[in-house]
Amino acid sequence: MSFYEKMMTLDRRWVYLCVGIAVAVPLFVPFTVPVSVTPEVRSVYDFVESLKEGDRLFIAIDYDPTVMAELQPMSLTIMRQCFAKGVKLIISALHQNGPGMAEQLVSLVSKEFDKKSGVDYCYLGYKPYPGLTILAMGQNFRIPFPQDYYGVSLDSMPMMQGVRNYDQVKAIIAMEAGWVADSWIRDANGRYKVPVALGVTGVMAADYFQYLPSKQIFGLMGGLKGAAEYESLAKQKERQATGRMKVQTIAHIMVIIFIVIGNVGFFMSKRKK
Amino acid sequence: MRSNLHLKSLIFFILIFLFWESSSFAQEDLSQTWFNPHRANMLIFLIFFFAVIIYFIERAKKGKSLFIRRIAGLDAIEEAVGRATEMGKPVLFISGIEDVDQIQTVAAMIILGNVAKMVAGYDTPLLVPICQPFVVPVAEERVKEGYASAGKPEAYNRDNVRYISSEQFAYAAGVNGIMLRERPAANLMFGSFYAESLVMAETGFSTGAIQVAGTANIHQLPFFVVACDYTVIGEELFATSAYLSKEPKLLGSLKGSDLTKALIMGILALGVVLETLGITHFTRWFYIE
Amino acid sequence: MDLGSALWNGLAVFLTLCIFSILYKDNPFYKLAEHLVVGISAGYFAIILYYNGFLPKVWVPVVKEGKFYYLIPTILGIMMWTRFSRKWSWVSRYPIAAYMGIGMGLAIPLTMYAFILTQLSATMQPVGFANAKLINNLLVAVWVLCGLIYFFFSKEHTGAFGWAAKIGIWTLMVGFGAGFGVTVMGRVSILIERFEFLVNYAKALIG
Repeated sequence: MSFYEKMMTLDRRWVYLCVGIAVAVPLFVPFTVPVSVTPEVRSVYDFVESLKEGDRLFIAIDYDPTVMAELQPMSLTIMRQCFAKGVKLIISALHQNGPGMAEQLVSLVSKEFDKKSGVDYCYLGYKPYPGLTILAMGQNFRIPFPQDYYGVSLDSMPMMQGVRNYDQVKAIIAMEAGWVADSWIRDANGRYKVPVALGVTGVMAADYFQYLPSKQIFGLMGGLKGAAEYESLAKQKERQATGRMKVQTIAHIMVIIFIVIGNVGFFMSKRKK
Repeated sequence: MRSNLHLKSLIFFILIFLFWESSSFAQEDLSQTWFNPHRANMLIFLIFFFAVIIYFIERAKKGKSLFIRRIAGLDAIEEAVGRATEMGKPVLFISGIEDVDQIQTVAAMIILGNVAKMVAGYDTPLLVPICQPFVVPVAEERVKEGYASAGKPEAYNRDNVRYISSEQFAYAAGVNGIMLRERPAANLMFGSFYAESLVMAETGFSTGAIQVAGTANIHQLPFFVVACDYTVIGEELFATSAYLSKEPKLLGSLKGSDLTKALIMGILALGVVLETLGITHFTRWFYIE
Repeated sequence: MDLGSALWNGLAVFLTLCIFSILYKDNPFYKLAEHLVVGISAGYFAIILYYNGFLPKVWVPVVKEGKFYYLIPTILGIMMWTRFSRKWSWVSRYPIAAYMGIGMGLAIPLTMYAFILTQLSATMQPVGFANAKLINNLLVAVWVLCGLIYFFFSKEHTGAFGWAAKIGIWTLMVGFGAGFGVTVMGRVSILIERFEFLVNYAKALIG
């Protein structure tokens, strides 16, 4: 087997090892990488910054622990930004494996700011069939969620007085790991015209840029990079995503090196034939 | 000819009416009305879409010929089966991980029947690992039919259609095991795939098999494109199954959606020209307030 | 780190390493972790569905609030379960038909609006060569048209039509490349979080 053919047929376990080293080593080496902010992330930040005390924002934490790495940092940052401004949050968790994780997140951040359930935030929890739930909330939150996650009636909550449906919230910021993002665009924005912004995993990011020029979403945060951009704007103390960007950069360089090796091997062995 | 002219005139006047009326309704509260004229564009589009599909399905049912171009993926499948026959090795057919109620699995079953007919003609073994239990009897039936229509019903081996596991990665592990043990010369992967697609395609690539894949799950297409010799992209999967089965509903739906695509292309081209000339009314008609 | 956290996090570290072991080759540790995750997700989802679906949507309305019309969808739901019986599986067709009808009725018009009409109107932008925005609009319009032409099955891809289809497939491939790239980014992000977890656990243990 020629050298170039060996390059193409390199045992994948060497690739795993090299990527593993590329991820592990930067964790111990202190350095930073610059994070440039894109307009679609800035528009989400500017919108949240423009909210006033007492305004209501709907945050959908529709992901499970498998994609926490990408979406948790942006969820944390936005919730902290909102609580610091006195914005009241209505939070849902429409992923079947996510409600417990979302509840932990909500409890963590609410304790930091001494916020009370029912007064400063309302955690609705999970309901099956996210598409139908989103449509139903457009009529009245109480149709799918007569009580919140803790069993407290929405009607008894001070912050939900006079809050019927999306008309009383300023916008929806949905953190999504799957097709429920389409439901927010189609049902919430398409049917009820409520402004929607998305925070999505890296895998999905490329698919949702098309909704920005059509103004179906007003902002998009994609993956760890999107979370790091938001953190750099919010300037909070804890910046999980920003710290991980250096590791991401080194890992990407390693992947690019292997892609180059494979392509050089492919074209050179083709030429030899 | 005259009735066509009357129909076109009628449609033209309806459009003019809607253009005019939509502006006069702009300030009214329409939440208590039965009909919201701001959404008339959606209604017209839907009626057109359903009408063309029903029209072509009825045409197909009456036996009228509906032209569909040959999909290049079919040639790739034939080449893959031919290569497996030359090498005396089996063909592996993977039909995705979704259940039989998913349209991609239905399309995969139609292609499986055609592949079974091909391999029966060449006496090449066909292995069909299945993910969902309800798919097993359907796959068995398709393979049996394929062998029967090739005139070799006795060559059908029921053990070659096997249920592996309903769990995504357990199924992928099982398929990988088959690829490494049986060393099929051709891997055909059609249907609905998720994260396990690259796991299986990569293993197949490492065994040196010729691989043809097709899925409508857009996120998995990049992985199939890099790891397979030919990829049937998105809607081509359904076109392939319509082309092979000649089923009126599939053919009619495909032709109807083609006509809708042609309309969309025409609207897009016209809209771009009008916008460039500064005429915005046409584009605004497609937007709902 | 207290003993409880050390034990639970230690279990998480062990299972993480079990999953990573597949990178070398298949082994019983990987199978153990895989089966655990499948079983736990199924069990977790069953409980979530009970407390968030069955209790508030069936039990409380029917038993506690006397809203007996909730029994209609409940019966339809039970009819779905007949799918597993060879003799009675025909019964499940009715709730499936109702479910599909309602689902299509809700989804189709909104899908048509959100994903076709709105996107169509957003793509119809003025084009030209005077500035970057006009050139961008032109490129988007051309590539959308060529992409649609590639998926047009009623005409052979010959002549100018064939050239447009070729541009269409190249456009798709560029899109797939972008999709592949962001997928790699997403997977690496998840790996980074796991490595961080392992490192932080080791640091906490060592103190």
